[in-house]
Amino acid sequence: MTDERFDSSVSTTCGYCGVGCRLEAHVRDGRIVSISPALDGPANEGHTCLKGRFAHQFSRSRDRLTAPLIRESGGFRLATWEEATARIVAELTRIKDSYGPDAIAGLASSRATNEDCYAMSRLMRATIGTNNIDNCSRVCHSPTSFALRRSLGLSGATGSFSDIDVADAAIIIGANPTEGHPVVGARIKQATLRGLRLVTIDPRRIELADYGVLHLAPRPGTNAAVMLGLCHVAARDGLTDPSFIAEHTEGYDELTELLESYSPQAVEEITGVAAADIETAAHIYGEAPNASILWGLGVTEHKYGSEVVQLICNLALMTGKLRRAGSALLPLRGQNNVQGSSDMGALPDTYTAYRRVDDEEVARSFEEAWGVPLSRKVGYTVPQMFDAAVAGDLRAMWIFGEDVAQTDPNTAHVIKALENLEFLVCQDIFETETTKYADVILPASAFLEKSGTFINAERRFQLVAPALDPPGSAKTDFEILTSMSRALGHEMGWESPSDTMDEIARLTPEYGGTSFERIGRAGLQWPVAADGTDSPTLYLDGFPLPGGRARFAALPYKAPGDSADAEFPLILITGRRLQHYNAGTMTRRTANIELVDREWLEIHPDDAAKLWVENGDLVSVRSRYGRIECEARVTDRIEAGHVFTAFHFPEVRTNLLIGPSADVNTGCPEYKVTAVDVRPVSEQAARTPALAGQA
Amino acid sequence: MSRNLVELVRRTHVRDAPTALEVLKEAVDSRGEITDDDRRAAAAASGLPEAAVYGVSTFYDDLLVPRGRRHVRVCTGTACFAASGNAHVDELRAKLGLELGERREDRSLSLAETVCLGFCHSSPAIRDGDLVDAGDGALERIIAGETRQAVEPDWVSVLDEPVLTRPGDWSGLGAALDAHTPESLLADVKAATVRGRGGAGFPAGDKWAFARGAPGEAKFIVANGDEGDPGSYIDKYLMERNPALVLEGMALAGYAVGAEHGFILTRSEYPLSKPALEQAVAEGHERGMLGDDINGSGFCFDITVLEGAGSYVVGEETALLACVEGLRGTVSARPPFPAVRGLYGLPTVVNNTETLANIPFIARFGAEGYLALSPGASSGSKMVCFNERFARPGVYEVRFGTPIRELCEELAGGMRDGRSIKALQIGGPLGGILPASQLDTPFDFDELAALGCMVGHGGIVGFDDRTDMRALARHLLRFGAHESCGKCFPCRIGLRRAHDMFDSVAPVDRARLEELLEALEVGSLCAHGGGMPAPIRSLLAHFPDELGLR
Amino acid sequence: MEVTVDGRAVEVEPDATILTAIRAAGSDVPTLCFDERQAPFGACRVCLVGVEGARMPLPACTTPCREAMVIDTRDETSRRVATAIVELVLSELPAAPEPHTELATIARALDVGTPRWPGQTHDVDHDSRHPYLAFQHELCISCGRCVRACDEVQGAFALTATGRGFAANIAAGLDKGFRESSCVSCGACADTCPTDAITEITLLPL
Repeated sequence: MTDERFDSSVSTTCGYCGVGCRLEAHVRDGRIVSISPALDGPANEGHTCLKGRFAHQFSRSRDRLTAPLIRESGGFRLATWEEATARIVAELTRIKDSYGPDAIAGLASSRATNEDCYAMSRLMRATIGTNNIDNCSRVCHSPTSFALRRSLGLSGATGSFSDIDVADAAIIIGANPTEGHPVVGARIKQATLRGLRLVTIDPRRIELADYGVLHLAPRPGTNAAVMLGLCHVAARDGLTDPSFIAEHTEGYDELTELLESYSPQAVEEITGVAAADIETAAHIYGEAPNASILWGLGVTEHKYGSEVVQLICNLALMTGKLRRAGSALLPLRGQNNVQGSSDMGALPDTYTAYRRVDDEEVARSFEEAWGVPLSRKVGYTVPQMFDAAVAGDLRAMWIFGEDVAQTDPNTAHVIKALENLEFLVCQDIFETETTKYADVILPASAFLEKSGTFINAERRFQLVAPALDPPGSAKTDFEILTSMSRALGHEMGWESPSDTMDEIARLTPEYGGTSFERIGRAGLQWPVAADGTDSPTLYLDGFPLPGGRARFAALPYKAPGDSADAEFPLILITGRRLQHYNAGTMTRRTANIELVDREWLEIHPDDAAKLWVENGDLVSVRSRYGRIECEARVTDRIEAGHVFTAFHFPEVRTNLLIGPSADVNTGCPEYKVTAVDVRPVSEQAARTPALAGQA
Repeated sequence: MSRNLVELVRRTHVRDAPTALEVLKEAVDSRGEITDDDRRAAAAASGLPEAAVYGVSTFYDDLLVPRGRRHVRVCTGTACFAASGNAHVDELRAKLGLELGERREDRSLSLAETVCLGFCHSSPAIRDGDLVDAGDGALERIIAGETRQAVEPDWVSVLDEPVLTRPGDWSGLGAALDAHTPESLLADVKAATVRGRGGAGFPAGDKWAFARGAPGEAKFIVANGDEGDPGSYIDKYLMERNPALVLEGMALAGYAVGAEHGFILTRSEYPLSKPALEQAVAEGHERGMLGDDINGSGFCFDITVLEGAGSYVVGEETALLACVEGLRGTVSARPPFPAVRGLYGLPTVVNNTETLANIPFIARFGAEGYLALSPGASSGSKMVCFNERFARPGVYEVRFGTPIRELCEELAGGMRDGRSIKALQIGGPLGGILPASQLDTPFDFDELAALGCMVGHGGIVGFDDRTDMRALARHLLRFGAHESCGKCFPCRIGLRRAHDMFDSVAPVDRARLEELLEALEVGSLCAHGGGMPAPIRSLLAHFPDELGLR
Repeated sequence: MEVTVDGRAVEVEPDATILTAIRAAGSDVPTLCFDERQAPFGACRVCLVGVEGARMPLPACTTPCREAMVIDTRDETSRRVATAIVELVLSELPAAPEPHTELATIARALDVGTPRWPGQTHDVDHDSRHPYLAFQHELCISCGRCVRACDEVQGAFALTATGRGFAANIAAGLDKGFRESSCVSCGACADTCPTDAITEITLLPL
């Protein structure tokens, strides 16, 4: 449809969350004036949310980085690309020569395209010679990836969002889709109104709980016990699928033995969820002809997050609810390309499609393609990078599209690491908390300015197309990475991101048939066969694990890394709000800030009364690791004993509160369980003193 | 109607919550107006979103007019128009010093328009609080603050064995539970060819059969007592004077269809109807003819009595269901028909109250007895009523096929004060206008349809020889435009434009009018927009010289 | 089942509407209240078509196909009435709709110019208190698309139809604007509006 109001309209894919809405960006006079959802978008079906549709003005914010900056005499000065390149080449060469390639590390971004992430990992592996490459999915969904590979074989949702439309029942655990993934949240809400029997499991009473048939509010950090309880009831009450178990799985006996200790009563003790509700939930899921499970960071960002994902897999496996429409496991990926950044091998231990760097055959295929020898040594994960920097083993970092000083936990430690580096390159679209520590800042491009692909939470490759040019002398990330590699002596040999995808497809059997042309408007869900056939539903031909069998995981409940005590009596949960996105770098530079202009702490009326906190009061929130201040809002959407806030505002720096506890398998930080002390901050006493107990 | 809103209401209904409309009505009844707090309370109670409640609060007439401590409502129905050309309205406005829809600043008094109070036998009718005064002297009494309840004439049946005017005694239900299976009762009702008495004339047995055959975890019977036709007060009589007969018909429908719950919706313009029905429901329970395990048969049936809030289109079945659910009373496209997807999305029979009042007779005497009532004509009997212009206005039970002249002249005694019949409007505002020259037409579905008229609901409004036919067209179109639910475009805008044409002093461009009437007839979603052209077409055919055409 | 549209046979699913069949056959009828993302509504009556054996034209969007149905999108009565309806719709607006709107596009296609109906139009009433979404109530034609987008697509239930008859319009929440309602700012209402009665503020003429 042509519309005389616009100079051009470009079909692309949203750069906010992992839903992957297809969008039409409408341009006039070199600016986006409107974005509308693509009617044929497979994940969004003609809908999108306020971020995808409206929050695009950041792309022409006056704060955009439009030229390289170089640190000089305690500050930054504008520089040319030649100067910036020379500085980077000189410093990285010096450090590599003095300390070896493993003294350098790179961070790719789940915000960037597949091609950018692949280029970034090639920059580290081939150009520098180290496997010190990771990406920010480390701090969100690495436990999902780890667990799905362990239990089922592949690191991705087993089905598609369309499974929601045909499921009879669903469980959502540790996710708040109507805020974090609004288009999927809307889809789930519609499904419940048509009769989907939804069970929500979350310490907070999320909006979808109002539309579901049952809400369970376990204590933070006790998801494992809930899942074990559901499996216990499923096994006890014959809700299992014995032929599926016999044909497609191994390890069931070990699991059943473990499950004996997780009766609903035992689980009630651990989780605070009524035993009867555990029974009901198990029956809702187990008795539905088709049922799906969705989860988010409320499952993964825990000390045993990856184990909980394995326990989720147990439930689906024992009831045989996989491999068909309506019966899927659907992790709700946070960022637009959480799936792709890891799929593309921006990880310290794997090349594309999770093939290990110490797998000789795989490593040789990349050596052959890239014409350089490659390290077989597994590199640093993100937290290890910061530890190594603090220890002095890591000397230089290249951080691409991430604000680790704002979003990563244990912020003081991160800052210490950044300060300790000899050389830090930041490649970003704005100055951030992290760029304060940079030596060179490279002005990069936003998703509306680049070409490439993202992979959404359904494993779907989708095209990203530029609607705008990068501002000033900012460049696309593709151009920056390929030209820097060239300057560092390694020619990647691609003219456009399409060439990069062709290389990825050539070197990765799982994506063998992928190309920009085939992705087209409908996308392709991996695995993609050489002839271009894609895979909306996984495991139709069995599980890609030894014997073709999925694996049950007999993992007991273990207590989270932090717990309330006399000094820190409340548990802080962190999460997202609809109007903003992650560090707020983008959304705070749009009119979304008019809709929500501040952070707040949600607190239960009983706790508020005990603490003399009134709605709107400024409160101090103190953990074992830091202290912040923000406004309090009293709500019964949260259980007593818990408080909640988001992390979108640098003024609040929520992540100062988060400690070093992390997932035991992947190092994903435990953002969801932090013991805190909350008290009002005020120059004058808030109330007349009174005897305790009267509140 | 939004499936999601219906689902939200259904979820709340499980807890037997009041509907949003009931909460809003209560607010306006008790405090004279609706505030946002009332709307929020209605949302919380009903399960509806606040916006949807706001939409409800702007739809129904009763909710829109602020009320004083004394609230006077003047009838502007067609019978009152026929009596005085609505001169009484102007006089009342002048004497009370209030425009229609206004309230005195001190809240002592408010004035509103209402269509119609069902006192068409003695116009003008004026309601003061819950008292309705009507006829000679009513205006003066209202102005003087001496309102008194008007007397209503008894009804008359010309049948030896009355069907509808026989006091309901639950004997039909008792007989059916003894002698009938649900299937055999349904078969009898089908064989009796009971045509709907609400206007459309659809065979009731067919509706029942569809609902019986439709899958659903529960089914409902909804009795349509929203007798909005100006000039008609038949349902009013049934609901107030013979409510048990209607309720018995509902229970029989429930038995035949497999429904255990019924709703009957009466009009807020009939303040006596809801209490009468509620009392009859209570008596039904006392007699063991409503409730669980009726007469030891295992059949359970209960009835909820509801009241509308001022909307003519709510008489249309999909709008009626929306109103029962407490939603905006707008029309929905069919299919799906209520028999398949009705109240709360479940199979529902919607029958007019008079239609249901026929069923106990069939249950007792079978289809044959019923078919014999009106020899050579449609089956059963029919209630008709006459307006104040007639010498003996009132409600009569008559046989189908009776010549209209006989009804008007012999039963109703012709026009009063020695005047002559100029024309009749039969069956409500969507019925064509029958000129005096066609009075020999038999009163029956097909014969009237052939003349662009209808049996409709059976109200017969006579216009005497003084009637200004252009004013009548304007009167009808004003009503039509005011009552348009606003859903379909032709009706929403077209009736307004048609009214504008007659409201202006300029001559009416006949070609443009006909273009508009075609758009209304062909394009409208329901019988309101589709039917409003019928009387206008009759006027064009029979009184073209009086309409100021060009 | 098979139906015929403008002389061409086309195979459709058992639950298909006439409109689905028309589009499957490569024909078209104008629509105003229809949006493929929403359930058919049947309000605008612009999609009337002729159907063999039917007493009157039928709305394509809400009428189910029947086996061997013969559909004529060029039926004269249907097109004449559709044109009359579009003229009526234009007559309720105080100004002609912007050229890019669906209403203007359909008016051009049906060759409806300035409406010949004098009389009342909707009162100008603007609300731009939301950072992205603006109401221009006078342009509302009560097609219900915004209300249904908010209900059937987003599930925010922030919008409602208001009033009735000619005075029908729309409101957010308790008619205190989007920000005081349950609106989640998804913009689906603006996206579907065929007249710009709800539109993005950035797209309003300066």
